[in-house]
Amino acid sequence: MTTKTKIPEVAVSQSTTDQGKWGMVIDQDICTGCQACVAACAMENNVSFVGEDDIAYGRGMHWIRIERFWKGDYPKVASSYQPMLCQQCGHAPCEPVCPVYAAVHSASEDLNLQVYNRCVGTRYCANNCPYQVRTFNWRDYARPEPLSNQLNPDVTVRQRGVMEKCTFCIQRINAVEDKAASENRQINDGEMLPACAQACPADAITFGRIDDPNSKVSQKARDGRGFMALEELGTLPRITYLKGGSLHGSNG
Amino acid sequence: MSKQISRRDFLKLAGVGAATTAVLTGCGPASRYVTREPYTKMPEYNYNGLSTFYATTCRECAAGCGLVVRTMQGRAIKVEGNVNNPVNLGKTCARGQATLHGMYNPDRVTDPIHHVSRGSSNGDKMDWDAATQVVADALSKNKPEEIAFLMGMAPDHLFDLVTDLTKSLGAPAPVRFGALSMFEARATLGQAAKDVLGQDGLPFFDVAGSDMVFSFGANFLETWLSPVAYTRNYAKMRRGNPDRRGYFVQFEARMSQTGINADEWIPIVPGTEGAVALAIGRLVAEAKGTSLPAVFSGVDVKAVAQDSGVSVDTLTHLAGLFANAANALAIPGGVALGQSNGLQTAEAVLALNAFTGNFGKPGGVYLSTLAPLADQYHRPANIKEMQDFINTLKSGSIKVLFVHGVNPIFELPKSLGFADALAKVPQVISFATFPDETAMQSDYVFPDHHGLESWGYQKVATGAGPSVLSGAQPVVSPFYNTHATVDVLLAAAQKAGGALASALSFKDEVEYLQSKLNALLTEADSYFSAPEINTFMADFQQYGGWWKTKDGLVAPSGVDVLGKSLKIDPAQFNGSGQYYLIPFVSPVLGDAGANKPWLQEVPDPNTTVTWNSWVEINPATADQLGIDNDDVVLIKSDAGSVEASVYKYPAIRPDTIAIPFGQGHTAYGRYAANRGINPADLLGPSLNGAGDLAFAGMKVSIEKTGKKKVLARLESIMGVYGTPQN
Repeated sequence: MTTKTKIPEVAVSQSTTDQGKWGMVIDQDICTGCQACVAACAMENNVSFVGEDDIAYGRGMHWIRIERFWKGDYPKVASSYQPMLCQQCGHAPCEPVCPVYAAVHSASEDLNLQVYNRCVGTRYCANNCPYQVRTFNWRDYARPEPLSNQLNPDVTVRQRGVMEKCTFCIQRINAVEDKAASENRQINDGEMLPACAQACPADAITFGRIDDPNSKVSQKARDGRGFMALEELGTLPRITYLKGGSLHGSNG
Repeated sequence: MSKQISRRDFLKLAGVGAATTAVLTGCGPASRYVTREPYTKMPEYNYNGLSTFYATTCRECAAGCGLVVRTMQGRAIKVEGNVNNPVNLGKTCARGQATLHGMYNPDRVTDPIHHVSRGSSNGDKMDWDAATQVVADALSKNKPEEIAFLMGMAPDHLFDLVTDLTKSLGAPAPVRFGALSMFEARATLGQAAKDVLGQDGLPFFDVAGSDMVFSFGANFLETWLSPVAYTRNYAKMRRGNPDRRGYFVQFEARMSQTGINADEWIPIVPGTEGAVALAIGRLVAEAKGTSLPAVFSGVDVKAVAQDSGVSVDTLTHLAGLFANAANALAIPGGVALGQSNGLQTAEAVLALNAFTGNFGKPGGVYLSTLAPLADQYHRPANIKEMQDFINTLKSGSIKVLFVHGVNPIFELPKSLGFADALAKVPQVISFATFPDETAMQSDYVFPDHHGLESWGYQKVATGAGPSVLSGAQPVVSPFYNTHATVDVLLAAAQKAGGALASALSFKDEVEYLQSKLNALLTEADSYFSAPEINTFMADFQQYGGWWKTKDGLVAPSGVDVLGKSLKIDPAQFNGSGQYYLIPFVSPVLGDAGANKPWLQEVPDPNTTVTWNSWVEINPATADQLGIDNDDVVLIKSDAGSVEASVYKYPAIRPDTIAIPFGQGHTAYGRYAANRGINPADLLGPSLNGAGDLAFAGMKVSIEKTGKKKVLARLESIMGVYGTPQN
């Protein structure tokens, strides 16, 4: 006689509000392109280095990168730096295309999750991401001993065939939430810092609760210089960029 | 400390608080006898999942940024900034973040080594007793004047010990050098400060308080002097004051990472920066309607416009900006000083500041705060002094050379002949942590701990307002069979006996540190105070150093620079080539980052190139020469030649090419060796008026080789890997 076990239902859930929970503001007027965030992210999140050949094939694993676009020709040439990372979209294009529910929306944190042990490596999510911030493990990248001593035990080490991306340092979010809960209090504004924001020498990255209108991140997002990357796509990014190179508060 | 608390007891105590963010002292001096090692067998007191944090000091450059390193089960996991340290206030640069890839680097020197023949990769392992005996013999069996020490820019406590040691021996004082100091032209800055500010010291430019920054070649957002501090101040300049947004103009022939952040980038002919500064000064005086100071009166604006490639209109526009700003500031630095007229340039730019009257005022020019324990600012050796040093080595009068924290075979221009000079020294003892080029050419390598495994302090030369001594303590126990160089020298002094032994009768490195720190117990305005040294030491470790609570920036007295005329000689360029060469320090790798795999993987901010060297050529020039992206070209100077792939760089003068410094190692571990090229191979020995290298005073030629080597860029470009180029 067989008992019929009910297979748990997995539904694609999308954020119901425009608002979101965690958010980030990146001020492009003070980002100097120094790459401290890139290195900090890699160190915190056990991101593999892939070496020269694979980087040349576009297989770099950077969860955050600094985009530099040239404008104009010499001598009237100018450029600016724009850090690009997972935008933690409210309506994330990566989520509905995953056949195995590896790219799912977190109900509690309102973030885009990547569940590594579900991922089968179809790469549909990366193809559908307009920000090109998902990176795929094309190989089991070498980490010669004793480099593995540095691995962060709070973050899963990924292997070949798995898609990965920025998590807003969810391991830090969980730690801060646990700590606040154990002390029976709310999380303080600024208590939670992802590795990139923590390192940034210019303090160009502000992180916090965007559902709290008084948080620093919400206040900065209301700056007249704010815009979201590719916002016309309706992805509801949780990252607001502040336009650089203009006078304070003006949108020019 | 009356009772020695064991680490086990201490962790029990610490666990009660269980605050994961508490920075541990390792419980004062007692902890030096405690090992912090990876727990293969978990001690029962260890709280699973809880991290311990140790404050220490970054050693990736000499700026002395404070770090807090997160460790778990005896492993160092993550480097974070020390929020208390006034230098970096909790922030770090990419090099600081990647320092763990140095400590856990697979290619460290693991044991003391004797190279039977120099340059061979195989060495015989020694034990430390024998190693110490070698050092003791070297110190006692040679005459004092036959002993030389060549030291790096960090750490300072070791430099102090070596200074004490050479003094008591009667040996020549240790020589100090670093590639960064060469490219920063520190001697030029110091000499210009003496001539214009009236005092010797390292100038501090208060970018944060300025609303109009004119930078003449200073790469202050990259590797210059104290990059994290300057970046913080830059952000404040831009957005720190809600009523104004600071404006920033950069003068340089090749747009640097700093230059990209400027509102206006002025592609100036290399070597004309000083003349342009004087011309702007003259135009500012005219715009303000003040009487023309003598220093600017001799300058012919039209001729300057002609020479510099900056039109009179642009100069007038810039002078208007400078004249109308509330707190205008001009910074001389980097490539502008690496010219034959670099000292005059520095003085001209400082004269521009003198004219605005910003000496010692917010948004102006100060002299950096003197660090604790420092009697005065000691700058590292300039190239003139290095040449003298090399000549001494060449003459054969030096019988033993000790090298620590510096890699002169890689860092110095090949044309100076350091490698040949080294061959003339009968005995070379290196204390290198990594198997770098100089260590490979040494007879002995007695590896020092990595910076994160070390005790020490760094006297902060510039960057912070208050006087800062950044403190270092081991965050983990040494991973390999390495010994602290201070301990080796102390032990050797005892073995050598005599006056040396009594002068350096310290039990170990910590006792030596304490003997120095004792002087701080009675200081006023102290960040923390302690009645006696053990308590002081515990605080010193917990806070990651010692600093004052008050700003100590020095308002320079200034001399009458405006009343005297200042002549700017035309810059001299060596070489018959057509193109100016700008070597610049890689903003990501710095001078010694190439052995850290994740730093190699971090893209250059401007080109997004990883893992290699490149030559930046203006696209128009490249088209003229029939060169495309990724074509390998041969760059020839008077001094040498290198081959590298071309990056068509839109923000460089058509008559200028640029090559990053940082790659091109022949040793230094698997991630650095045989990768890219070293532009120091192209540099000749020309100096500027302050004895610094005129590293940008070269003209080079470009030749096609017909080869192609694809650069690994993060940005995508058309035409790579078979897709047709548009």
